[in-house]
Amino acid sequence: MRITHLELLHFRNHKKNQVDWAPHLNVITGPNGAGKTSLIDAIHYLCMSRSFVSTSDMYVTYQGESYFFLKGDFTGEIRSEFEVSCTYSRGEGKKIFVNDGPLDKLSDLIGMVPVVVLSPDDKKLTLEGPAERRSFLDSFISQISVGYLRDLIDYRRIRKQRNTLLQDYRGPQNMLQMYLEPWNKQLVETGSRIIAKRYEVLENFKEYLSRDYAMISGMNLTTGLEYQTFCEASADPKAIEEQYYKELEATFEKEVEREQTLTGPHRDEIIFYLDDFELRRFGSQGQHRLFALSLKLAQLHYYSDELDDLPIFMLDDVFGDLDLHKTGILLKALQEHSGQTFITSANPVPFEDFVTFDGNRNKFYSVVDGQITERDR
Amino acid sequence: MQITSEYLERAIEQLSKLPGTGRKSAQRIAIHLLKQNDEYALKLANAIIDLKNKVTRCSVCGNVSDSDPCKICDNPKRENGQICVVEEFNDVYIIEKTNEFRGRYHVLGGVISPMDNIGPDQLRIQDLLKRVGGNEHIDEVILALNPDAEGEATSYYVNKLLIPYEVKVTRIAYGIPMGTELEFIDEATLSRAFTSRSSF
Repeated sequence: MRITHLELLHFRNHKKNQVDWAPHLNVITGPNGAGKTSLIDAIHYLCMSRSFVSTSDMYVTYQGESYFFLKGDFTGEIRSEFEVSCTYSRGEGKKIFVNDGPLDKLSDLIGMVPVVVLSPDDKKLTLEGPAERRSFLDSFISQISVGYLRDLIDYRRIRKQRNTLLQDYRGPQNMLQMYLEPWNKQLVETGSRIIAKRYEVLENFKEYLSRDYAMISGMNLTTGLEYQTFCEASADPKAIEEQYYKELEATFEKEVEREQTLTGPHRDEIIFYLDDFELRRFGSQGQHRLFALSLKLAQLHYYSDELDDLPIFMLDDVFGDLDLHKTGILLKALQEHSGQTFITSANPVPFEDFVTFDGNRNKFYSVVDGQITERDR
Repeated sequence: MQITSEYLERAIEQLSKLPGTGRKSAQRIAIHLLKQNDEYALKLANAIIDLKNKVTRCSVCGNVSDSDPCKICDNPKRENGQICVVEEFNDVYIIEKTNEFRGRYHVLGGVISPMDNIGPDQLRIQDLLKRVGGNEHIDEVILALNPDAEGEATSYYVNKLLIPYEVKVTRIAYGIPMGTELEFIDEATLSRAFTSRSSF
């Protein structure tokens, strides 16, 4: 899957702009704050219906304006050509259109154009709390499984209803149990499916991760990954359901006391290891960086094998951190990946040694003050 | 700006409170009404007043009706023995349009949703149990609630309360919409369609 043309109106620091993209490698350079990341963030909007940088639609609107508009032309193997556009205005919120037809739910967009983003923020993945890793995993699986995304949305809703019941209920406990029962059933069914899917994907993902870590680090450390949930995980939801019901029963009193749902995939954790050491506790800065990088490369390679259409790969300002040797390895990996790639970089990177910018398959852009020019190299 | 007609302004303000009607549409409607003859305006006004004054709820099924009991509950030709449970009265209207169902209805008036402060006691569930246990000779209760979290929870709850009555409880089938191709259906819907498949 790739984007051939992008139009932006009032998006971040682009007042009005359009770009034709190359099918393979697109390198965007320019000084800090020129609008490089904004360009790929716009593409991210058209793939995932949100920014990968900012948490609010309002903050990505051009200063002083009340709306933004984005449009992209995509082509791929399964759907030959289609157009995705996104509008946001302060009054009406966000809407996504595919070939001019509005989508009922923003979530319907996810998975249409799979995308993998490497950014300086990735270090949070291994350094910070479990929520970061769950959200990585959720966005990972949602792009390859519509059913998973649907279960996630349902699960969140069911948990919210259940929590409200636990918080607001005043009365005898046996009645509460009866009121909880309809929610328990759905919590267990969707929750078990989520755990089973996470387990299944992570089991396959392990191999990709260790391969990519070895490639990028050039070292013989073995990566490990342990998926932790409240029960013995399995790829079979039915096997989880039984344990789930038991656990709900066992924690009932604690749930009443704490007034919230305590059992389920919303409390899962993934532990990363290098050899036998837990990365989060013992990893060096450099190891964290390389681990995060290999997580994203592994995601790219996993998608490439799993999906009929290659994902779009974005690297936002990641070369500044890497030594020359690692840069070489990463660029070589990008050369081998035949999908479309976007690279933003403030510092000059020795791309010429690895890539020929013919202005056709690979293009080189420079962005200065929101002005985009394609350059010959 | 100078307003030349307070009455026009007042009409626009009231109309713009209608669902899906912004100020612009309200203006258009008000000006359209102004151009019509007196008879039309009177008919519209009376229709609105009758809507509020004359439409009531059927005390048996909870459906909206001009009479109590409603025409469906009062119709001897409707098959006794089947009750179709729905969330709101507009669902009755939708199902009636299919001409597929010849039994009677029961309108719950909502679904269980703790977030909206709606528990089983706020719904007409006890009335349903009374009907099933009463002299209507019910042998099948068909649950036709939406397949979302709240609809599912309500179906589960109602079904559980019906167990002691030893009545057949069914639910409408979930699955593939007519005129759709398999490849465009998401996994969740498809897997559901598989579990509730029926003999050919």
